[in-house]
Amino acid sequence: MNSLRPLLASAWMGIQHDIAWTSPPLSVALRAVAPFASAMTVSIIYWFGTNNSAAAVFSPAHLAFVLIGSTLYAHVASYAWVPTQAIAEGKNLSVFPHIYLTSRSTAFYVAGRALSAFVISTITSVAALAIAYYVLGSFIGAQIPVVVTLGSSALFAAALIANIPGALGLGYLLGAYSLYASKFEWSLPGYVAGLLMVFSGALFPTTTLPWPLSVGAYYLPFTQFIAAARVALLPGSPGSYLASMALCLLGGGVLFLGGILVYFAAERKARKDGVIDRRLA
Amino acid sequence: MKARALVRLWSIFGEPLWVVVNMGFPVLSSLALSLLYYSIGATDYIGFAVLGGVMVSFWGNVLWSMASQFNWDKQEGLFEVYLTSPASLTAILIGMSLGGIIATIPSAVIVTAVGWALFHPVVDASWGGVALTFGLTLASLYAMGMVLSSLYLTYGREAESFNEVLQEPVSMLSGLYFPALGSQSPFPLALQAVASLIPLTIGMDALRRTLFYGSSVVQVLPDLVLLAGMAVVLLSLSTYALKLLERIGRRDGTVAVRIR
Repeated sequence: MNSLRPLLASAWMGIQHDIAWTSPPLSVALRAVAPFASAMTVSIIYWFGTNNSAAAVFSPAHLAFVLIGSTLYAHVASYAWVPTQAIAEGKNLSVFPHIYLTSRSTAFYVAGRALSAFVISTITSVAALAIAYYVLGSFIGAQIPVVVTLGSSALFAAALIANIPGALGLGYLLGAYSLYASKFEWSLPGYVAGLLMVFSGALFPTTTLPWPLSVGAYYLPFTQFIAAARVALLPGSPGSYLASMALCLLGGGVLFLGGILVYFAAERKARKDGVIDRRLA
Repeated sequence: MKARALVRLWSIFGEPLWVVVNMGFPVLSSLALSLLYYSIGATDYIGFAVLGGVMVSFWGNVLWSMASQFNWDKQEGLFEVYLTSPASLTAILIGMSLGGIIATIPSAVIVTAVGWALFHPVVDASWGGVALTFGLTLASLYAMGMVLSSLYLTYGREAESFNEVLQEPVSMLSGLYFPALGSQSPFPLALQAVASLIPLTIGMDALRRTLFYGSSVVQVLPDLVLLAGMAVVLLSLSTYALKLLERIGRRDGTVAVRIR
């Protein structure tokens, strides 16, 4: 209970920060614009490439593969970065000193902010996926074989939740960096989104990458999360839902454990070195 | 103008790590989209993804280092210095643009080098046309950044949210990675007409034609005239908007309010 309260307070603060700067429904709608446009861009590239190249063949199932992957990598990127943002912006606006002066580790604050971002990003990503599904269908006249039933939605939701430890672990690693940095941390979302685009199997199978990158990419928890989500929503997708979920949880657990240990160590050292409230490098 | 350009150049090249920082998303997204074209067998179009990566560097710079800049300068207390200096705000923005363009070139070069080294995209270029189109595209794009910058003066922290809302849709509509105009576009005509109001759309269309289809300057002349016209109109608009908003801000006492 003692741990739950700071977590919930931070999550509530995250909700206020992320969507209460204007009317909440408008804010959520605006937040769905970027993942929608990103999913559309990637899906259109697939459509354009397969329709204008003799060597390529258009397949609605492959389009669905790309559509789901492009929405989900953006989802992971958007909330895995939040710990960094919470710390960097908190230092810049002098909010963070109020957090680290409390009796709890700032790790609770970081986790709460990441969880609120997860909830918001889940809503906006699902909305973006649904809108892109209909808009793409009308633009290119293809029936995209995404199946949404109670069962597939439950499996999809379970995959989203199974990815939280991995994303939070990544968030803690990046957050540990931003405890020390005060300049370059703003570029991290670009790197996180870019790396996920390349290595999470979001846009193309990881086997497209050269060995050993393909093997490393395959075992990333984010790759397995996207694979499980695809199996849930796209009948006939390669792979096993349970195997992907197990690998996602295992990899995510390792990443979470590593991330939180690094964060605790960084936080301890940052307090000792007197940099935890350093606004500018 | 020169002073502001030098500040921007010094801030980037005085800390070479900024070059590495700025190239992250353009290089990785260009690589990912090139791999997407490659994985589906559409290798003829990998060059589109590389070109898109180059131009997204500049688009990102326009959004985050032009449009938002005055807003950040207000937060840091620098905007008051601009206001009290004898330099015009338009000159400061032009200087910022020139510095931003030069500072973004390393990122664009690295995207090109990585794309070239890994995928050897097929190019059939009319280099004169490419250079002219590239120059006019940047001129009109940065002029658009100046308009946004003046508009963002009226906003507080909302500016960053607006930037996030603008970034991806403009990338999509302008066809950074695929043709947004003409018969190969997936967009209906009405949407193509709307997309044509964005300088980047016209610029990308002309750049693809001159770089990959060997179109000459004469063949893309309508695009070039349009881009030049957009640059002039947007520059005039930003000058007018800056003066108007500065006047309103001075009258209401909000022009240098740091955080709203």
